[in-house]
Amino acid sequence: MKKLLQQHEFVVTIVFFLVVILIGAINPAFFSIGNIFSLLKSMIIRGILALGVLIVIISGNVDISFTAISAFAMYTTSKIMLALFPEGGLLLAFAIGGLIGLLLGSINASFVAGMKLPALIVSLGTSSAIRGFMLAFIGVKIINNLPASLIAYSRSYIAKFTDASGKIVTLPSAIIMLIAVTIIVWFILRYTMLGRGVYALGGDPVSTERAGFNIKAIQYFIYCFMGFLSGIAGVLHSVFMRNANPFDIVGTELIVIASVVLGGASITGGKGTVYGTLLGVAFTVLIENSLIIIGVPSYWQKVVIGLIIVVSTAASALREKFAKLEIS
Amino acid sequence: MKRRILLGMLLAMMVVGLVSAQTATTASKKFTIATVVKVDGIAWFDRMREGVVKFGKDTGNTTFLLGPAKADAAEQVKIIEGLIAQKVDAICVVPFSPEALEPVLKKARDAGIIVISHEATNQQNIDYDIEAFVNEEYGAHMMDNLAKFMNYEGEYANFVGSLTSKSHNQWMDGAEARQKEKYPKMKLVSRRNEEYDDQNIAYQKTKELLTKYPNLKGILGSASTTAPGAGLAVEEAGLQNKVSVVGTSLVSSSGQYLKSGAVKMIFFWDPADAGYVMNKMALTLLTGGKITDGMNLGVKGYEKIKRDPQNPKVFYGQAWVDVTPANMNQYNF
Repeated sequence: MKKLLQQHEFVVTIVFFLVVILIGAINPAFFSIGNIFSLLKSMIIRGILALGVLIVIISGNVDISFTAISAFAMYTTSKIMLALFPEGGLLLAFAIGGLIGLLLGSINASFVAGMKLPALIVSLGTSSAIRGFMLAFIGVKIINNLPASLIAYSRSYIAKFTDASGKIVTLPSAIIMLIAVTIIVWFILRYTMLGRGVYALGGDPVSTERAGFNIKAIQYFIYCFMGFLSGIAGVLHSVFMRNANPFDIVGTELIVIASVVLGGASITGGKGTVYGTLLGVAFTVLIENSLIIIGVPSYWQKVVIGLIIVVSTAASALREKFAKLEIS
Repeated sequence: MKRRILLGMLLAMMVVGLVSAQTATTASKKFTIATVVKVDGIAWFDRMREGVVKFGKDTGNTTFLLGPAKADAAEQVKIIEGLIAQKVDAICVVPFSPEALEPVLKKARDAGIIVISHEATNQQNIDYDIEAFVNEEYGAHMMDNLAKFMNYEGEYANFVGSLTSKSHNQWMDGAEARQKEKYPKMKLVSRRNEEYDDQNIAYQKTKELLTKYPNLKGILGSASTTAPGAGLAVEEAGLQNKVSVVGTSLVSSSGQYLKSGAVKMIFFWDPADAGYVMNKMALTLLTGGKITDGMNLGVKGYEKIKRDPQNPKVFYGQAWVDVTPANMNQYNF
């Protein structure tokens, strides 16, 4: 039991369900299928980004440029699709978005792996450069006439109900993408040499190199994969919003990183799980999207979100400290 | 090489400036009126340029619109400095930061240049300021329309971009006061939700509101992002016939929801008209005329401008534009 309690994910799971029960007790409408579908939908984009961030954080680094990459890929993909393939399909859009993200991610990779610079500093620069380049050379106008294939995808669902009040609730098909990314990341981290390398890199880079891992290759993979996921998430964002606004997405990086840390990933590297990350994402989405339901007035919503992030991250940091004390 | 091209361009600009200043003085009764906006290249001010250019064509004067590449007070100051040096006859300005422009506008007026501002009721160094409408009246107007769609009864919620955004909160002050006074059967169940000018947040919060208040019948938005965000949530829920979304927005962002019926009506003021009347006021003063209470500036919504009782430099129109699916095709921004 004590061992179980020391596991971060277990504690967060319990707190998560306590909060769920509390919110549900205040307003039973929380448990409606509509609300649960809505929460799941909100988890999709944040979840995909968070799984990429998880890998970066496990490797002992922090990347904050992923939202800029995401916005860039979203906006540029929409422009390319409209100009060249207005009738183009969904797969093409995601392929273009993913490729753009991957290329931008490789810029980060070349700095981090090639010049051995800390990713936080590199990504501070690249995020501003990528965003600036987009606004200066690609455009600032919101695109409201997305290709038909994307609009159609925004309407597609895998489950649909009509509730008592006549409200239609759907679970978007895009949830499959989150599931797919989850499985891929889980598989990589758990069953491949690459995944072992990522953990090892976060634990101790020098030993990792001596153990025969190709650190450069691992880092190239990490940042290109992060870029790829950002691109996919960006295109999904335009699907959900049915427009491409170049000013969107950027600004959400902190809540994504907070979700990952909340889920037990250690900011110093070497630690973190897919389950914890998804739980962290569910937690932040739950808090952000339940304040109206439990009746917190607008004036207080930001305060509550801020407090919860501080308390939860502080709690996990403190627990780590105590755990170390106990061992020594 | 590059430097030489740049130098050449600068020289050319100076020559053009001199020549245009010269023509302005030699040919009598031909004036040069410059309009300076917050930022150039966005749809809103592109539309304003149409009004400014039209005024030039209508009256035979030289009119043009300038703005910095990014919204920045210092850049605006530089542009106005340039215009003073060029000796334009009048400057119309939409300030990014009214306080930051005071010194340069004083300089302009000292040089005998007429200065007209827009969206800046607290600007000091101006001849006059023209506003599209009194904010509270605009809010009340939006409420009248929401009430009509809701059949004058039921629960509604309202949004602001941010609780610190002055104009949004004045609109909602006016709207809430009107509802209390004239529509007692309506009930505000969720007050001033913030959406930070972000369509995604408007969408999320609307979904939550629909969950919490199953009898919700109306949503009133302030920022241009509320109507499309709330419209998307309503459309996804298939509640177009039950929930009415209205609010400030633009056809470019809300058009698809107007068409689908998820947004019933949007409101804005036409920047082309605002540009036109600023120039008109400037020309009136240049030709020795006066700006008076109740004056007709010859543009719809500005037929009877009202002077602010507290500040004699400020005038208001009633220039809101109502957009429904029937007339949405007239607006390309």
